[in-house]
Amino acid sequence: MAGSSRGSLGAFVAKVFAWLPVTFVVWYFAAPVLLWPAAFIVELVTRWGLADIVQGIERARAELTFATTLKPGSASARAGEIAVAVDLLLYSFGLPLYAALVLAAKVPGWPSRLVVGYAVLMPFVAWGALADFLKNVAITMGPQIASQTGFVAWQREAIAFSYQLGALILPTVVPVVTWVLTHRAFLDRLRPRMGVA
Amino acid sequence: MLGFFITFIALQVVLFAAELTPWVQQFFVVPWTNALAAISASLVTLFDPNVVATGKVLRSTVNGFAVSIEAGCNGIEATIVLVAAIFAFPAPWRARFVGLVAGIVAVQGLNIVRVISLFYLGQWNMKVFEWAHLYVWQALIMLDVLVVWLVWIRMLPGRGREPGGPSGGAPAPASA
Repeated sequence: MAGSSRGSLGAFVAKVFAWLPVTFVVWYFAAPVLLWPAAFIVELVTRWGLADIVQGIERARAELTFATTLKPGSASARAGEIAVAVDLLLYSFGLPLYAALVLAAKVPGWPSRLVVGYAVLMPFVAWGALADFLKNVAITMGPQIASQTGFVAWQREAIAFSYQLGALILPTVVPVVTWVLTHRAFLDRLRPRMGVA
Repeated sequence: MLGFFITFIALQVVLFAAELTPWVQQFFVVPWTNALAAISASLVTLFDPNVVATGKVLRSTVNGFAVSIEAGCNGIEATIVLVAAIFAFPAPWRARFVGLVAGIVAVQGLNIVRVISLFYLGQWNMKVFEWAHLYVWQALIMLDVLVVWLVWIRMLPGRGREPGGPSGGAPAPASA
């Protein structure tokens, strides 16, 4: 779309603001469908890598509930198992941001760029959800539960870092970086003084 | 392009890891977050005298509602992304310094708007507060970082001076 591509940065930002409410509403109401791939990745990872502590995962809208083998008290105590709920929306709000950026730029082939960005973002949404779950059982819920997970000190440190990265950096940075990478020519047109190197 | 991307990611990881260390938390993050609450309170009291800041908490003295500025809401992560993007992009040091100062002011300025808006949204409607807090403002702050970075690279002197920049030193794809 040449007209949009040659527009000013201000016009582009105005279009992003115009698209954001639309993409946020679509994302929120379509979340159970849109986030299915991320939930699937989480299930695969837990089945292959965390089968000793995760019995299964239930989905309700955008929320995943991890049914664990962990006991509220000590591992030997006879009690019900702990369930941990994780909201995928917390790690996927970059989707509407990415969609708004793509729709505001609307370069030729924009639908394929939407698909590419969606595919790129899904593993990172899964990352956030998994790190959230692991942070809960290995750190937040206390030493009695953490001891049942079998994680050693450096693994808990890695989980804490992964959680912070997955919650504070990745949800917003990945969509923006993906957009920059998939819109290089558009960015060149937004930078008239620099041109194409 | 690859060089820019790798440097950008590496800088982010290093700066973010540094942010999480106890020393940086104690001597930079906590004082900065407290200062953010104090600045927000001083701005709010220009039109609403019933607000006080205690540490990182902004509180209404009328109804007791309070917001605590936590990690992710103090603008430090957004600033880290901006710093990484500016330092990873090939540019003169002077331009980087100017971009950093102006960019940090822009990001932190909008972040103060976020804190103040959330403070009032929370008193009005908690559902709206949650939405704005967890989703909308997060996206807007990162959009602010992107716009600041785009404005900055647009203002850099010279033409075609960034072989490792987003143009990647090669003509842009015709399809884009």
